[in-house]
Amino acid sequence: MATAAATPPHGGLPEEVVVWEILVRLPPKSLLRCRAVCRAWRSATSARDFLAAHHARQPNLPIAFQEYHGSQSLLAFDNRGAAAAQLQPVARLDDDSSLEASCDGLLLLTDYGRGVPRFCVCNPATRQFACLPTLSGFVPLALGMYRHGPTGEYRVLVCPRDEDPATDACYIFALGSVHPLKNIGWLPEVDEMCSSAVLSRGSLHWHLQQYESAAKVIMAFDTTAESFRRMRGPVVPSSDGLFAGMFEMDGILGVACSNDKDKIIGIWMMQDYESEVWTLKYRFELPFEEIKMQCDMRQVRVKHGDMLIVVVPDGNCELLVLSRFGNGLFQINMDGKLVGSFYREDLCLTQLQLKQTLVPHTFFPALEGYVVNVPPFI
Amino acid sequence: MATREAGKKMIMLKSPDGMEFEVEEAVAMESQTIRKMIEDDCADTAILIPNINSKILSRVIEYCNKHVPTTGATGAAASDTVAPAALAEDLKIWDAEFIKVNRATRFNLIQAASYLNIKGLLDLTSQTTIDTISDNSLEEIRSFLSTKNDYLPEEEQTIRRENQWAFQ
Repeated sequence: MATAAATPPHGGLPEEVVVWEILVRLPPKSLLRCRAVCRAWRSATSARDFLAAHHARQPNLPIAFQEYHGSQSLLAFDNRGAAAAQLQPVARLDDDSSLEASCDGLLLLTDYGRGVPRFCVCNPATRQFACLPTLSGFVPLALGMYRHGPTGEYRVLVCPRDEDPATDACYIFALGSVHPLKNIGWLPEVDEMCSSAVLSRGSLHWHLQQYESAAKVIMAFDTTAESFRRMRGPVVPSSDGLFAGMFEMDGILGVACSNDKDKIIGIWMMQDYESEVWTLKYRFELPFEEIKMQCDMRQVRVKHGDMLIVVVPDGNCELLVLSRFGNGLFQINMDGKLVGSFYREDLCLTQLQLKQTLVPHTFFPALEGYVVNVPPFI
Repeated sequence: MATREAGKKMIMLKSPDGMEFEVEEAVAMESQTIRKMIEDDCADTAILIPNINSKILSRVIEYCNKHVPTTGATGAAASDTVAPAALAEDLKIWDAEFIKVNRATRFNLIQAASYLNIKGLLDLTSQTTIDTISDNSLEEIRSFLSTKNDYLPEEEQTIRRENQWAFQ
């Protein structure tokens, strides 16, 4: 080995390779740390095109949270690489806010701590937090958040939380914009939109709760044209037809349905988006007895009907069922095999995902109460 | 070196130190860079691979040989009888063995995978470095990548303060 003085910088790796092949693949926290290694790294990893490339490489991590002594921990389920899956703490927030929507690493929260509930937006990776202006006339319910392609703005789709003929309509507003809400008219189906919005092919999608029919219905919202349309969902036999979640993998929309009596999960994928053709991709029994046995061994209290599932891409082009049962979170593969488990007190599983970003967003500093790395971050 | 088999198009790859490697076109096309050259018809004779010596190039070819999809010609008999999951498991074990090399070789492989644009090889070779950077102190990262700290002490403190939560 040559002496340190004779060693070429970066062990012989060209700077471009270090930046664009190595640093770009680091998790956000490690990347921030690396800015303190040397000047060249700091400037390279602060450039906008680098941060956009870094964000593009981030996986969509399912979000869970855990209430803990007056605060809540946001946890991301990370199943990348060869190592065992982890529940990674992403941020700790005070417990006055609840999670509403997620888009490109940004989280929309409702803050209940200061009188009238109001929206706030935060980026757990940069620990930026700001409040959105209160909406005059009504308390809003967020249906979804998206990036509006033509303007590049992040926009929130809302409807009034309480029924009121005077304000019954869906509205759109942009984060950081001074323009008032845009009224896009009333959508009668809003009450039936029971799932979190799933973004796929430029549209947000919700499952419409319909009790009498075997044919599922999806409501879609085109994020460019900003209009709603109904889409065909899968036709599921009523015994198997309890809606259990919607997801997206590699541009394909999926719906999971369950048969609660027999603990059967059916995974339907929309093979042809334009023609709205669905196929049943997987059908398997959840390893319920095994899960119950594990819970018993750990003396985890289990109530009946306590089971909650989320279907997510596992990061390796496969799907994974995450099932919360009592204080346990169980990973189940598409063969119905239990492949992992976590135990946390008061763990809640959301249908939202986090694709972390360090891209600086211009709207943040323009918003009221803009702060970085101070409460509500703990 | 594999012998030329009927119906398989062969490509000649040359390293700067004068070695020549005859490989099946399908294997060479695991590299997106070479694939583009072939598709653009820039590859009628031998392709010179700059900056990658014969020792590294032969290892890259070894990787591509192992990872070329086995549909069609090579290894078709094997893949027909082995379940995809078992095949993937076998590849994982092979990859783990393949990457047991010293740091200099690994860096050379990263550079080669980057130039030749071989995604799988890049993921495999860069992961150890990514883990090292993620898990170690700034001093250890600097020493691992022979990078000099050119900050004034107070500047480094400011950057640490700016991103305080990343250091907890």
